[in-house]
Amino acid sequence: MTEKAIEIINLVKKFGNFVAVDNISLTIYSGEIFGLLGPNGSGKTTTLLTIATVYKPTSGDVRVYGYSVVSDGDKVRKMVGIAFQEPKALGIDKPYDLLLWHAKVVGYSGEEARKVVKDVMEDLGLWEHRNKYFYQLSGGTRKKVEIAKVLIQKPKVAIFDEPTAQVDVVSKHYLWDKIKELKEEGSTIIIATNDMFEAERMCERIAIIYKGKVKAIGTIKELKDFVPLGDTIELELASYADQHVLDILSRFGKVRGLGNKVLIYVNRGEEVAIDIIDALRRSGVKIVRIMVKEPSLDDVFFYITGAKLKEEIS
Amino acid sequence: MEVSEVKKLWLTALRDLERFANNKYWLAAQIAMNLADIFIFALVFRGFIKRDIVPDYLQYMTPGAVALASFVAAFSIGREVGMEVRRELVDYLLVLPMKRTTLVFGRILSGMLRGLVYQVPFIVIAMILLSPPTIGKTPILIATSIILTTTMSSLAIAVSTISRDFNIQATFRALTHYLLFFFSNVFYTRKALELRFPQPLPDIINIMPISIAADIYRWCFNYYQSIDIWQKLLALAIWGAILTLIATTIYLRNLTKR
Ligand SMILES: Nc1ncnc2c1ncn2[C@@H]1O[C@H](COP(=O)(O)OP(=O)(O)OP(=O)(O)O)[C@@H](O)[C@H]1O
Ligand SMILES: [Mg+2]
Repeated sequence: MTEKAIEIINLVKKFGNFVAVDNISLTIYSGEIFGLLGPNGSGKTTTLLTIATVYKPTSGDVRVYGYSVVSDGDKVRKMVGIAFQEPKALGIDKPYDLLLWHAKVVGYSGEEARKVVKDVMEDLGLWEHRNKYFYQLSGGTRKKVEIAKVLIQKPKVAIFDEPTAQVDVVSKHYLWDKIKELKEEGSTIIIATNDMFEAERMCERIAIIYKGKVKAIGTIKELKDFVPLGDTIELELASYADQHVLDILSRFGKVRGLGNKVLIYVNRGEEVAIDIIDALRRSGVKIVRIMVKEPSLDDVFFYITGAKLKEEIS
Repeated sequence: MEVSEVKKLWLTALRDLERFANNKYWLAAQIAMNLADIFIFALVFRGFIKRDIVPDYLQYMTPGAVALASFVAAFSIGREVGMEVRRELVDYLLVLPMKRTTLVFGRILSGMLRGLVYQVPFIVIAMILLSPPTIGKTPILIATSIILTTTMSSLAIAVSTISRDFNIQATFRALTHYLLFFFSNVFYTRKALELRFPQPLPDIINIMPISIAADIYRWCFNYYQSIDIWQKLLALAIWGAILTLIATTIYLRNLTKR
């Protein structure tokens, strides 16, 4: 996983005086599923549309397998496919015609095109809707038509902008599987989302962006470690946790006693837990149960975007 | 899995026509309405125009109607392209694996095809009311139609993508449309124009692209026996080249300046 698929270099995108993307730099490697996580208006879509050559960078550049979106747009477009946040179709378009046309433009011959469109449409449960007008389709179905474009195209770099917003739970899991299959077939995947569950389930690495800036980047694990005192160790003792016990534990982190239960907020919980067990044993305190809880991605997100972490910490 | 750029151009051009085909009834109604419009105009103007200036007004007007219908249909692509820009549907076209110029010319060709499809009934009417073009005149008829519709399509697209604001789009489009519609010799002969308007207006009207195309069509359908056809064709081609060049530059710039 060392080949660079996407290299975003000091990317700035302004709309008038408004800075939508504020000097972002990051690298996405070939074959990974990369997540852009951020609240509404943080610049996810703007970044994706710049990669897909819709927007021109105000300054900086994006390279797709070495080709610049600024000077080599034609080559970039041959490698990139995108499912837009807002499905792009006219009300009078019909899904089948739309996808068949798409298949032909991205390189299938007539016969192949009909086959791949039918396969993908059946796969996503779209076949029964094939001849409806777009305006007759439900929001989730429209979204699936949009995603079908990329699944048909199988681009080297596949971009999904909030792929499962509006999609029901069962379809969500199915779409996630389909996107993973696309990765198995060799595509590099970028997903923009503000759904923590989706990010956690799908993405190998994530960049959290906020107000146009990258606030953190890494694997889910790394991001969780990013939150100071984000892990919670929950101890259940055989007896009441008196001041003596709490004193011992406060060496490891912030402590809160609740009868014979103690909560300790620490970094790197799994490692600290062992030290805690040692320390308590040496002092003759009996442990009934110990549990290490990671912060959720929500916590990470709250922490990074400046909102309050858990109310317990305050 | 690589398609040639030419095929992508055709796919882009035909996309609009396929959409049109999905709306057969709408299309039929449009054609009928436009036909009615033009011929109602003709009947009204016929009353104004003295018999000794134009012996058979319907015969004079019909080839002009071919030019007008081709222009109106090709120009109507501006509405679609304007909507694409307004509703950001154009984003989809912009990410497709094709060159920007392929996209631009594909859209222009869509307008051209609209014009060519639309003019067919008018050509049939002209053949009935006047007489069919000879074999020798047919290529000139086709060339004129292609140049005219391409020029008007690109003009409409350029005008419609100047702004993302619907009102500005519509205003510019209507302005260009009516300028071309009324500053033409479709309804008035040169003599009638000279009687009513001071120079240089009649001269200007006569070298407007719709007027030139109408004159060529009149020749094709044997209304005029002798005009300098090559000079007319050259003039139309020059109009076409200049307008299309300016229009494609504007459209390309409007598409990529974001
Ligand atoms: N074409 C545009 N013109 C002006 N401002 C824009 C334009 N597109 C986006 N913006 C602004 O840029 C900021 C980032 O928008 P963007 O769509 O990239 O956010 P996002 O992270 O995708 O949000 P969401 O989760 O709501 O989709 C927003 O404040 C938005 O209002
Ligand atoms: Mg977005």
